[in-house]
Amino acid sequence: MDVLTGLTSPFPRSEALVKATRDLDRGRATPDAVEAVYRSAELEVAALERRLGCSTRTAGYLRWPDLFRAFAETWEGFSVGPLTRWFETNTFYRQPILLAPPIRVPGAFAARLPPPLAADPAGARILLPGPYTFAGILDNRSGETDFALVHRLGRLLADEVRELRGRGFATFQFTDPLLVARPPEGPRAEAVVEAYGSIGRACDGGTSIVWTFGGDAVPAIRLLDRLPASVVGIDLAETDVERIPRDGERTTIGLGVLDPRTTLAEDPTDVVRVVRAAAERRGARTVWLGPGASLDLLPPAPAVRKLEVLPDVQRRLRTGGER
Amino acid sequence: MSDRLFPAQEIGSLARPRWQLLGQRGEPLDAAARSEFESWDRRLGFAGELPDDRDALLAGRPDGASGDGVRDLAALFALRYLEAAGLDRVYDGEARRVEMYEHPVRQMDGFEFQGHVRSFDSKYYRKAAVVGEVRLDRPYDVEEFEFVRRLARAEPKVPVTGPYTLADWSYNEYYLGRQRGWKGRAARRAAQREFVVDLARRAIRPTLKALIDRGCKVVQIDEPAAGTHPDEAELVVEGFNAATDGLDAEFIMHVCFSDYRALLPALLEAKRCSQWAWEFANRDSEGHDAYEVLGALREYGDTRSVGLGVVDVHRDPVETPAIVADRIRRAAKHLGDPARIWVNPDCGLRTRSLEVAHAKLRALVEGAALARAELGSPRR
Repeated sequence: MDVLTGLTSPFPRSEALVKATRDLDRGRATPDAVEAVYRSAELEVAALERRLGCSTRTAGYLRWPDLFRAFAETWEGFSVGPLTRWFETNTFYRQPILLAPPIRVPGAFAARLPPPLAADPAGARILLPGPYTFAGILDNRSGETDFALVHRLGRLLADEVRELRGRGFATFQFTDPLLVARPPEGPRAEAVVEAYGSIGRACDGGTSIVWTFGGDAVPAIRLLDRLPASVVGIDLAETDVERIPRDGERTTIGLGVLDPRTTLAEDPTDVVRVVRAAAERRGARTVWLGPGASLDLLPPAPAVRKLEVLPDVQRRLRTGGER
Repeated sequence: MSDRLFPAQEIGSLARPRWQLLGQRGEPLDAAARSEFESWDRRLGFAGELPDDRDALLAGRPDGASGDGVRDLAALFALRYLEAAGLDRVYDGEARRVEMYEHPVRQMDGFEFQGHVRSFDSKYYRKAAVVGEVRLDRPYDVEEFEFVRRLARAEPKVPVTGPYTLADWSYNEYYLGRQRGWKGRAARRAAQREFVVDLARRAIRPTLKALIDRGCKVVQIDEPAAGTHPDEAELVVEGFNAATDGLDAEFIMHVCFSDYRALLPALLEAKRCSQWAWEFANRDSEGHDAYEVLGALREYGDTRSVGLGVVDVHRDPVETPAIVADRIRRAAKHLGDPARIWVNPDCGLRTRSLEVAHAKLRALVEGAALARAELGSPRR
């Protein structure tokens, strides 16, 4: 079995970064001083990813307030709205308010990527919001219907991918938890498939990953199977392996095997067992493994302890040991 | 309790005054802290009630490391601050608590703090893992309540973080670790249930009982995590019931930033709950009537009172009394009974400055008076 690993979300901020950003808020630190802490912390995450043999690198996305802010603050048509609780955790995001049909501003998103990624764009994993979740979490006052909005966001995200492909980036993850938390049906489901069709065409030989969590993937599995993406990831903390259908045409699947909702580190033997079972049920020969939900639900130390399970799991799965 | 329509209550924590922060650290007050202290004292006249603590604070010797005198002053300040705004139910602004999660968890055995986790932007909170069976040596918040009871001029309402929220906001190591094999959905659910019920029975219930034995009549059980997993609403209720069954007090359940419809009808099984205190104002805007969801309570035939969030705790602009009155009016229409409405902020006002928070509370009270003048009759 071919096994690829990597972070699927922002990495937790270190205590030094927590202190620096708090100090900045309270007027006790300068932006330059905080920038130095960011740069150091990004290099630490990049080094961790190298040490763990991650197949893609993220440098932690430590500067991002949330998954949507880069767009809400830069794309025309948006304003940044009130703090809103994320649907499945005690964390908040500022809800984007869409006042008019959105217009992408070229270069604006790329400027917010972690600086270390520019040094090796081919090895980077670009995190983007999935069009269905993006449309679902915003306050839509634009007059567009929900599924027209999913279409439009799909096209705009595809344009984003095209621009980033031009800069040498090749792996794009679309974080789309609402696909399993609130599975779309009917025209909405078709809009999602078409949106990912736009994105897939823009990837042009690159890798597109749809990453889901926050719900049982089984009720949404038929839709997930139809998405024109290289990889679709499901969270095995939320989805019972025994209920995953024994079919599917993807030879590559994504599996969230680390649960950031608990500090309890996963047992590699258990992980190997569920990965094998899931791959067998789906007929997959290649698996992308990583945390299911967002790793920054944890402080750094337990997050690292969890990630350190992955190389061992990868080795056992590749060699076929400990069946 | 007031027999007027639309009595007003606080809902949670307030921002810490600078003089409290410095005083608790044993540091002398700087000019800004002294000015803040004196300005509020002129408006509220609170410090003369605790002259020894006041004098020690202003003299730069605020009882050293313990900070007890400073905390007493801060709790009294919050009481008078809320009373001056015109609220019918008050507490101490949670002046003695670190925050609503860390405070109770630090009173219990079985937890280990792991570090900071981001809540939003550059705001963080400390999160603990439960690494052993939950135990409580002695009930907490009892002295805090006795201080409030002794000095409050309005009716005290004690906020207590609920068992479901404490469990949801903790890392579950101990109970999950007892589950064998892969820690999937079923194992997590079973472990979470054990954790919630242990918290309710072993920590929160003894605390509630001790508070009630000391004369506490109104308790607000805070369950802000209830909305994050609507499919676990039954577990919220199981924890609530395990903590409160058979206890003689008025219990309020506070939930915020949630899709309340998704929690119904499961939440209605909270047997001892007599009021829902929910956030609405944050999502109420022109063209979106956030209070419409109250129609769901009507559809289910639920007749409990509602603590209506009428001011947004996440934005600085102060609502006008007219906006507050309009929100009450719409809520009364959806609920079908104005006599069941209390008014409150959406949640704790801790993220607003003391000036902004007080202006919001005054607008809340004035808005309630406007609505009362219009809708008339007294509470039943």
